Amino acid sequence: MESNKKYWKGLEELSNSTEFVESNKSEFAEPLPIEEILSGAGLSAKTPRRDFLKALGFGVGAVTLAACQKVPVHKSIPYLIKPEEVTPGVANYYTSSYNGQAILVKTREGRPIKVEGNPDDLIGQGGLESQAQASVLDLYDVTRLQNPILKGDESSWEAIDNFVIRELLAIGAGGKKIRIIASTVHSPSTKEVIASFIAKYPTTKLINYDAISYTGIIQANQNSFGKAVLPHYHFEKADVIVSFGADFLGTWISPVEFSRQWVSNRNIKSLESKKMSRHIQFEAGMSLTGTNADTRVPIKPSEEGLALINLYNALSGTTLPGSKALSNKSADTAITLVAKELLAAKGRALVVCGCNDVAIQVLVNAINSLLGSYGSTIDLDNPSYQYAGNDAEFVAFIDEMKRGEVDAVFFMDANPVYDYYNSKDLKNALAKVRLKVSFADRIDETSALCEAVTPNHHYLESWGDDNIFAGYYTIVQPAINPVYNTRQAEQTLLIWSENPIKDYYSFVKNNWETKLLPLTGLSGQSGWEVLLQKGLIKTANTTAAVYTFNKDLNVIAHNIVNRSSQLITKGGSNIELQVYQNNNIGDGKKANNPWLQELPDSVSKVTWDNFVAIAPKYAEKLGIKEGDVLKVSSENYTIELPVLLQPGQAQGTVSIALGYGRTASGKVGTNVGKNAFPFYVFKNGTFQSSVTATISTTGDTYILAQTQTHHSYEGRNIIRETSFNKYLKDPSSANGRHESEHKTYSLWNEYDRPQYSWVMAIDLNACTGCGACVVACSAENNIPVVGRDEVRRRREMHWIRIDRYYSFKEGNENITEEKEIDQLENLDNVSVVYQPMLCQHCDHAPCETVCPVLATVHSSEGLNHMAYNRCIGTRYCANNCPYKVRRFNWFNYWNDSRFDNYLNNEHVQLVLNPDVTTRFRGVMEKCSMCIQRIQAGKLKAKIDQRPLKDGEVKVACQQTCATNAIIFGNVNDPESEVSKALKSERTYYVLEELNVQPGIGYQVKVRNINETVA
Amino acid sequence: MRNVSLILKQTSRLVLILAGFVVLGKPAYAQDPAKGEALFKSNNCGSCHKIDVRMTGPALGPTIASESDEAYLIKWIQNNQALIAAKNPKALAIYNQFNQSQMSVFTNLSDQDVKDILGYVKDQWKKVQAAKVAPAAGGGAAGAAADSGPSNIMLLGLIGVIVIAFLIILVLNRVIGTLERLLLQKQGILPEDSEDEATDKVAVDRLATVRLLAKNKKFVFFVVLCSVIGLGSWTWVTLWNTNVHQGYQPVQPIKYSHQLHAGAMKINCQYCHSGAYKSKNASIPSLNICMNCHKVVKTESPEIQKIYNALGYDPQTQKYDSTKAKPIQWVRIHNLPDFAYFNHSQHVKVGGIRCQTCHGQIQEMQEVYQYSPLTMKWCIQCHKRTEVNFKGNAYYDRMTAVHDRIKRGEKVTAASLGGIECGKCHY
Repeated sequence: MESNKKYWKGLEELSNSTEFVESNKSEFAEPLPIEEILSGAGLSAKTPRRDFLKALGFGVGAVTLAACQKVPVHKSIPYLIKPEEVTPGVANYYTSSYNGQAILVKTREGRPIKVEGNPDDLIGQGGLESQAQASVLDLYDVTRLQNPILKGDESSWEAIDNFVIRELLAIGAGGKKIRIIASTVHSPSTKEVIASFIAKYPTTKLINYDAISYTGIIQANQNSFGKAVLPHYHFEKADVIVSFGADFLGTWISPVEFSRQWVSNRNIKSLESKKMSRHIQFEAGMSLTGTNADTRVPIKPSEEGLALINLYNALSGTTLPGSKALSNKSADTAITLVAKELLAAKGRALVVCGCNDVAIQVLVNAINSLLGSYGSTIDLDNPSYQYAGNDAEFVAFIDEMKRGEVDAVFFMDANPVYDYYNSKDLKNALAKVRLKVSFADRIDETSALCEAVTPNHHYLESWGDDNIFAGYYTIVQPAINPVYNTRQAEQTLLIWSENPIKDYYSFVKNNWETKLLPLTGLSGQSGWEVLLQKGLIKTANTTAAVYTFNKDLNVIAHNIVNRSSQLITKGGSNIELQVYQNNNIGDGKKANNPWLQELPDSVSKVTWDNFVAIAPKYAEKLGIKEGDVLKVSSENYTIELPVLLQPGQAQGTVSIALGYGRTASGKVGTNVGKNAFPFYVFKNGTFQSSVTATISTTGDTYILAQTQTHHSYEGRNIIRETSFNKYLKDPSSANGRHESEHKTYSLWNEYDRPQYSWVMAIDLNACTGCGACVVACSAENNIPVVGRDEVRRRREMHWIRIDRYYSFKEGNENITEEKEIDQLENLDNVSVVYQPMLCQHCDHAPCETVCPVLATVHSSEGLNHMAYNRCIGTRYCANNCPYKVRRFNWFNYWNDSRFDNYLNNEHVQLVLNPDVTTRFRGVMEKCSMCIQRIQAGKLKAKIDQRPLKDGEVKVACQQTCATNAIIFGNVNDPESEVSKALKSERTYYVLEELNVQPGIGYQVKVRNINETVA
Repeated sequence: MRNVSLILKQTSRLVLILAGFVVLGKPAYAQDPAKGEALFKSNNCGSCHKIDVRMTGPALGPTIASESDEAYLIKWIQNNQALIAAKNPKALAIYNQFNQSQMSVFTNLSDQDVKDILGYVKDQWKKVQAAKVAPAAGGGAAGAAADSGPSNIMLLGLIGVIVIAFLIILVLNRVIGTLERLLLQKQGILPEDSEDEATDKVAVDRLATVRLLAKNKKFVFFVVLCSVIGLGSWTWVTLWNTNVHQGYQPVQPIKYSHQLHAGAMKINCQYCHSGAYKSKNASIPSLNICMNCHKVVKTESPEIQKIYNALGYDPQTQKYDSTKAKPIQWVRIHNLPDFAYFNHSQHVKVGGIRCQTCHGQIQEMQEVYQYSPLTMKWCIQCHKRTEVNFKGNAYYDRMTAVHDRIKRGEKVTAASLGGIECGKCHY
């Protein structure tokens, strides 16, 4: 049965506004000014002939002169003494780790050019998130400090050391407090360094300060079970997952790990064994996790607590004081149904909540305890160390400063002046501190206030280690010599604490040899070398014990009800505001990374800005239109931001992304969007992300650079979706392939595929839409960053994009065209499908037929080749591509001052992959299926004189995908993973009816919808 | 200090012994330099020692000439390890001076053999010293010759100036002559030259022939056709060869000769261009590869000195000073455009193509030039002609279709395996 269900990318597409229809008629956003030239000044001008002759004469002259040039002299400068391990032209890989996740760093001729997941990594098992992929670009960030700064001027390390040590000794003699403010330190060696610093200056204390804190969970576990830890969650063991605002696939605690766990119950393997987990999400703003949930119920932040109380009541059969039915009827019924499902899955259920309120988290603990989650889906005995910040401690520290008790502050990887909610207060307090030192790599908001800025190395220049959950240790080793005159923060601290070991490498090595290596039975130099090769060690887990919640919940319930009532607003322009992280910019520390800024936000598809997300219906009521600039005011803070109508946003709420509005992050990230951190409030001992606010229009409008309706399919049916029940009845139920078989005709010669036929299988059920593949592709294929203005003109260059389709959530019936408009009412209840779209390498490629110069042709391996040097830029191919995956180079992005934020810089160009051409202005480009990797893989097999193994060649997008949604391989080999995947009953081809015979098969999205809840 | 006293002691002993020799006249045993030379060579002494300068081991001439204790020398040469083990102070001193690198043991040499060798070395040392004195005497002449270097340029410059001056005089003379004649004509002193008229007539006649030819349509057609063909083919060839730099032979910073190294010395290409077998780049060797040999070979050559300078290497102390190092900037000869991917290992290691196929008879090139045109046509022609080398490579085992073609006796070329598809080189 072919679905009649309508899928749409944006509201304009749904309502089919005239503007949208018009803009979709043309391939490119800005039509060529042909009319203008023909009708306007072009012909009626007085001297077009003379101008023409002048131009002609000049052109001929210039060409003649250019042709007179002799052979350009290229210098070739070999190494003086070549390091033994370097062979020019061959990449070396080094193990390292990024935020505790084991990685491999690809280096060419000594410079890191790509970060890849370490297949042995326990977090992603080779998968990496977009931020990790983009981290290599930060190494070449030209805004990094090139020298240490003392009192605002460039200085030398010697001068700074003298200054700081003198000050520290004086402070030590005075006996006042010294504080180290750091984003949670989870490196064992760094902890040792800080311990040695504390030993030298005993008034020192380390304060873990996380911009996005998880204090609520840690404190709740302390209150409930006497263990102040962040638990290690196991989504792979859960059959029913209920999340209240926890974006665990996007940003919550350890998203890569959770995505991998989560998908293990929904991927091909799991579905073939007729097993699929169920995931229900209650949340206010549309999050990445919400879009992937089987059932998503929009609730206001104020309803979250009550909903949890009701859930507890339903599960336990008791009634907590203050319980009352939610005003939101659908949520209310959903809770009772969810409770039944959870009880049915006792011991295999998991409830998580993204709220940072201790009381709410205690209640969540009680619920999980009822469900028997402890010891199965929640592990408190092998906890996570990723976040250990204590919000109250940081607030107390500000009070200490105000009282003048603190004489020295050190900031390590922390930027509280930007991301603390009350930065004015913090600034005033800091003014009373005698010595302020920052290890930031740039003059950011915080380090601008510091006497000394001692720039830390980039992590790819550093030694170090990490321990992000119990028993898992990773090593950080440098892949390049320090680029600038920077020094590792730990080494700086060692010098200042006058430690006998002045060199951090020796310190780390020492620490491992004495403490960590013996844990796995390794020892000495050989053990150290094994570690450097493997990059990680894992010690045996202790068994996760079963914990039972037996604390009194009455006070807790009272607190929760109180908190909720504070959040309730009158409605109208008084709304509930929630700030959140999106999964590319996060907390804003990476704001200066152009790859991340250009990566469209997974849900809204907005680049280079944050915005106020509001429900369409609610906006209509208030008379707010898309693009209006809104003034959003909470009790303490006001900002103006453009509006984005977000289907699925809970009524009466708005959401604003954090991490934007940096004022001192560098050329790329400064003044992109507005800072939403000041909306935070400090309540009940934790930082909380929901407040009440009022909104009003300012009268201004602003166009967001949103990619959602670029590359439209004009309503063609390209998404296939089914429910788990239907899938169980008939696995091929929704692939649409067994419908009326058309007789097909071919205009093209069939190609012979003697050896390889490279194809891809993409599982829509595994893709979470996180966008890591987009960044990985940019890094691998030297894809230019075009910036906000060019994105507005629909000129983004990404070879792979993640299309996000909305559809109305309906049980069994399909929505017909007539009913659509009525359904506008139902815009809260949308479901989402993500579809990675890239060149399909069609066997009957329409682009090849129309190219007048044969710049794009087919290969005997099933690939659609693109010869840039042959392309003359007619753009016919882009016009004729039904998948809209071809990109045109409108500029020389690497040599044009308008694109200063990325490639137009010799230093940044060092990140380019030397095996891939940088494209010139005026040529088309598109996904090549990482042909450089295919060729390299084949060559390696030829040199080793063995056949090419399946899985040996991995394309960049596939390699980074934590959920293995993308499988690439040779379909000529029946044993290959991709052949098996494509044999799945769920396989379908996008626009198969056009008979272009695409090379990429998609697997039908399966939603585990419980018809009664949905 | 101990060394100084040691040297003093040795010197005094030497003086005494020399005095003894003088008294005794001839030494007791004869040293046969000819025999010594044979032994010197057969025992490969030369691989670590030179007569006049330090190599891996000390310079033999000065050391042996200054060493008076022949018995010690014999013991040392026969078995230096024993001496060191016995903690002989002299032996230890020299052992430590040379970074405790061990000298081979020559227990096969009899005392007389060693004496012969010593005789040979002393003989050679004398010759070297004599040779040194001679150039010192001729130093003045050599200096003058060296000075003539710049004067050569000056000489050439001078000649140039003279030539130019001469030309100017010539032109001026002509001008003056013409002016004078004009002046005379104006004054009516000199009548119009009848000779001129005659030449004019001849010119008119010549023009008439040309006019006649111009009227001949067949001839005009022929000329036009010829010039169109000529110009056309010239344009065609020029256009095709735009940016084709076949024969490009830039001047390199070091006069390195492939003819000497690859040709005469028969050094394998891989020894220096190791990347050719494992990487896309054949790679220009780093200087440490040069130093494998040139630490000892032709150390005095000014070209080799350039290597030393680039490395910051001091041949006297054999130490590297990285602060003085400055890399050598070779001029790249083979320039492929950025959009063409070429991998040496694919061709050399997998395909088994000889270097000479693309680079020409490199072993005969004094200076390297671009032998092949490096055009796409050239690449493709080769891909169309070259049969793929399957033998013994299990990579090709699964290619059943190819095997069928081999069975049918068809040629399987690089092109037929997709070697002329755009994306194989352009990505």
